[in-house]
Amino acid sequence: MKKILFQIGIASLAVFAALLVRGEPFKIELPPETSSFKPAKGVEIANAQCLVCHSVEYVSTQPPLPRAFWATSVKKMREKYGSSIPDSQVEPLLDYLVEHYGAKTSGAPAVSSAASTNSIVAAVEPESKTPEALGTRFGCLACHGPDKKIVGPALKDVAEKYRNDATAHAKITEQVRNGGSGKWGPALMPPFPMLTDEEIKILSDWILALK
Amino acid sequence: MPIKHPDSRSLFDRRSFLRTAALAGAGGLIAGRVVNALADETVALPFENGERRLVKFPQKRPLILLTTRPPQLETPFSVFNEGIFTPNDAFFVRYHHAQIPTSIDPATFSLEIKGKVNSPLTLSLADLKTKFEPVEVVAVNQCSGNSRGFSSPRVAGGQMGNGAMGNARWKGVRLKDVLEKAGLAAGAKQVAFNGLDFPVNEKSPDFVKALDVDHTLDSEVMLAYEMNGEDLPMLNGYPLRLVVPGYYGTYWVKHVNEITVLDENLANFWMNPAYLIPDNTGACVEPGTTPKKSKPIARYNVRSFITSLADGDKVAVGKPLKLRGITFDGGYGVNEVVVSTDGGNTWRETALGRDHGKYSFREWTTTFTPDRAGEIELKVRASNRIGQTQPLDPLWNPAGYMRNVVETVRVNVA
Repeated sequence: MKKILFQIGIASLAVFAALLVRGEPFKIELPPETSSFKPAKGVEIANAQCLVCHSVEYVSTQPPLPRAFWATSVKKMREKYGSSIPDSQVEPLLDYLVEHYGAKTSGAPAVSSAASTNSIVAAVEPESKTPEALGTRFGCLACHGPDKKIVGPALKDVAEKYRNDATAHAKITEQVRNGGSGKWGPALMPPFPMLTDEEIKILSDWILALK
Repeated sequence: MPIKHPDSRSLFDRRSFLRTAALAGAGGLIAGRVVNALADETVALPFENGERRLVKFPQKRPLILLTTRPPQLETPFSVFNEGIFTPNDAFFVRYHHAQIPTSIDPATFSLEIKGKVNSPLTLSLADLKTKFEPVEVVAVNQCSGNSRGFSSPRVAGGQMGNGAMGNARWKGVRLKDVLEKAGLAAGAKQVAFNGLDFPVNEKSPDFVKALDVDHTLDSEVMLAYEMNGEDLPMLNGYPLRLVVPGYYGTYWVKHVNEITVLDENLANFWMNPAYLIPDNTGACVEPGTTPKKSKPIARYNVRSFITSLADGDKVAVGKPLKLRGITFDGGYGVNEVVVSTDGGNTWRETALGRDHGKYSFREWTTTFTPDRAGEIELKVRASNRIGQTQPLDPLWNPAGYMRNVVETVRVNVA
């Protein structure tokens, strides 16, 4: 009996060893991102800039600190982490962060709010409406490479998925306008309500033609 | 459903937690979304804006969610009363960049040793497990910013309670043995470690850390492939991580696949200005000020905690009460833990539990009988063999590193 048990033991070891040798990758599936920025004026900048590299909690779990703190953080993101937040968006972004995640009263330096009354759309100068320019301006290309997955799927994979789908343009419009997660992975795509129908059409046509 | 006293054993409602855990277990990874929706128990860490969700990540029980992408998870403090070893599924998680590995083939994973070495090496996991002597160490891994949320004035960074630490039995090979196989070339000064995680933005600095060559040759720094007798969990660095006993977690590079020997000190964001502390005893400055001189964070200071009671717990007057907790330091060895049951006026000795080595958590216990009703303040203070101890009032630095104030638990005697 002992011998049989021993042989069974050896047999299961062999099976175990075979599994190891076969080289099955070990995989995990991360839970979906569920938090989003508070919807308010300026949220489109936070969505397009902050969420490229990290989820909302990096902001929302901070203590309510004054503007100087948020200014230091934004500066660090630009200078140390290579974030491409344009100069023109820094003050509006700070307005949003301080208003919704910061301390509005103590320690806030007297900063002119002139710059902050402009929304992102007004803050960007009239620019080229090529798909690449729009993709850069609204942050699409920070998370989606044309042929490389970054945070979200590669745009050519999006094209492939909707290749024979008559409602492809509507689906892309819906995704851009309202955001969402779970179709491609755990990362949450924020909503981009500031794009016009025309701009979405330019992007959508370009994306769907990618091969 | 916020529950108070999170820095404590009664961190959350036990029944709802167990229900969540059971669902999570049954749901598994595929049903992650459903499980997640059901797992939204919350806890309130005892500082402003300290409300957190408990979320289940792969190979983990529901843990305190600091951030989702990249994952940063804190161990509920009640876990530290369950035993000296922190279970793998409760061990904290900290990443710096969002591009983390979620699929690794152990058969093709390899570790490269290069730079100022005589013969560059590429080792498979099997090579590491068969061609080098396996060694084990029990060691605490603690985040530099553990307890940062308690900093006053508050500081920027991951806002954690006391749960960004854990104690495990690590098994692997000596870094020294691997480096000697490659052969350090003349002039080798530091050894840099890089893992499989990388930043989303190509312009962000990849997370690479370095140790002085002398430190890497001390026989204690380890390349670990097992944690508490199992493969490392993915989120704790599967299949290989650096273990630097007595040193803050920033050096414990996860998924390590590239070791580069340098003939100069590594100059990157993660060595300077990140992870610097004031260059003085206590690593502190006047709250709200900036240090004049800084140095890289290194060994743990001394810490001790009461784990058997939490703020707000009720205890019986006239009945002997067993107090219990944990202590650790940077590897000199804690040799005394004292407890005060009167807010710090008088102190009593405690008994130290089994010694699992100088880098491990160690249990302390004592018994006392509350003699009258009312709120009492329990305090615990450890000291080590070289005379380091814990300050009665918290020390402060701008990054919120190395908090080690004497901890206080307030209970009601009735």
